[in-house]
Amino acid sequence: MFALIKREIQDHIVYFIGAAVFAVFFIIMSISILHNYNPRHGPPVFAILIGVPAVTIVIFGIGAMGATQMYLDKTRKISALLSTLATSRNRILLARIIAGILAILTLLVPLTIAAVILMRFFTILIPIPMFPGMVFEISVVVFLMAFACYCIGLQTGWNSNPVTPSLGALFLTCIFVPLILIKGFGVHIVVILVLFIIASLLRTWHTFMKTSL
Amino acid sequence: MDQNVIKVENLVKYFDGRCVLDGIDLKVPRGCIYGLLGRNGSGKTTIIRILLGLEPPTRGQTFLLDADSTELSARLHSRIGYVAEGHNLIQSYRVGRLIKLCKDLSLQWNDEFFNHLIETFRLPADRKVKELSIGMRAQLNLALAMAIDPELLIFDDPTLGLDTVARRQFLELAIELIQQQGRTILFCSHILGDVERIADKIGILAAGKLVVDCPLEELKERVKKLRVIFPESAPANLHLTEIINQQNQGREMVITVANWNKQKQTALETFKPSSCTEIPMSLEDIFIECTKPNPKPIKS
Repeated sequence: MFALIKREIQDHIVYFIGAAVFAVFFIIMSISILHNYNPRHGPPVFAILIGVPAVTIVIFGIGAMGATQMYLDKTRKISALLSTLATSRNRILLARIIAGILAILTLLVPLTIAAVILMRFFTILIPIPMFPGMVFEISVVVFLMAFACYCIGLQTGWNSNPVTPSLGALFLTCIFVPLILIKGFGVHIVVILVLFIIASLLRTWHTFMKTSL
Repeated sequence: MDQNVIKVENLVKYFDGRCVLDGIDLKVPRGCIYGLLGRNGSGKTTIIRILLGLEPPTRGQTFLLDADSTELSARLHSRIGYVAEGHNLIQSYRVGRLIKLCKDLSLQWNDEFFNHLIETFRLPADRKVKELSIGMRAQLNLALAMAIDPELLIFDDPTLGLDTVARRQFLELAIELIQQQGRTILFCSHILGDVERIADKIGILAAGKLVVDCPLEELKERVKKLRVIFPESAPANLHLTEIINQQNQGREMVITVANWNKQKQTALETFKPSSCTEIPMSLEDIFIECTKPNPKPIKS
């Protein structure tokens, strides 16, 4: 199993490097904004202008990783070789998903740690009300959202017709954005995301197990 | 434990509504070298892919080492060596990396034997797989399949693309393997001379059916090509069953008959031929006769 995970990481190392670079970028940007932030000048518009495209790139990047993993497997017939060795399709897919989770964590873990530290240093400057466990709650939702995008990527990469998963992603975005804006990061969104992820993974697993390699 | 390492039961496979395999039944006993033959597109590779669980069957069941092909465990895979048609290796990897991956994913690895093969084949570890010649790729695939000391070896046209020397090396290696007890080999090839040299049992696929399934020696005994000279012009119909091919020219008739036996010989003698001589047939000749339209089944 370790060999399979290692192979996935090595083959898609660019995504891990990208995740690390983005984590550093977000941390530097947050420090810089908080350091220069003055509450009398209103909300930090610059942060929003930089942050929104950056988050969009990250979300697409994570989806692209899933799609690349599956697409390269399909075109290069990697699983066709691996599944004739001492392993199984289940393990190949599991290793792939673990690699995807590790890439997401490469981005999120440093960001979460940085957020906790920065909040301790700049509590007074932060313009939103804080509550205990807020960083953890937001991190869980962000992780689940990233993982849901990754799952859509897995399906898009394996399907010969990527329209359905893409429409699914669009539909999901239409639900989540208003939900987060209205209700915030709460249990309800976690439940929806978990259900979506389970359904998506089951579909990917079923397709991967039944298809010709 | 079943003595048959490979079992195929009523296997049917359709591709886009086209029947490729039509009710195949096949058994390969332990220690047997089975040569599976057929023309291009006859379904040899499809049978192998279904056996290895790479392709789902439309109907029927296949078993490898007593396990259903659709549920082969990692442990079972570690007992099977496979050389794929076209040498299905990860082209973007360096040879060294591919070897390491295969080694890490195997439950047993014979380093000594593998290194011996790599040295024999002179395979460069630092080159990418896609930069290797077809022959070198075949050799690498073969070395990877052999390194796990497999109980069952499946070769899908393994000598395709190899030069004469490499092909001879491969066959000698296969013969060396045969001498190790209990090892079973399923061997597909278009080079019938190779198959004739090493196979114990032959299967020939034609029109989606396994038209031949018997030991090589028995096959040669049962398929006869005869040159028969009659006192007058050759009769149009000999009333013999299972005539694969018949050519008449004046007094001379050349016939190929499947499942040749005493009854058929007696039936032929009723026409009082002046002479009847047997034309020796190689496996290639038998293969050509058996893959003509409306093939006659020859099974032991």
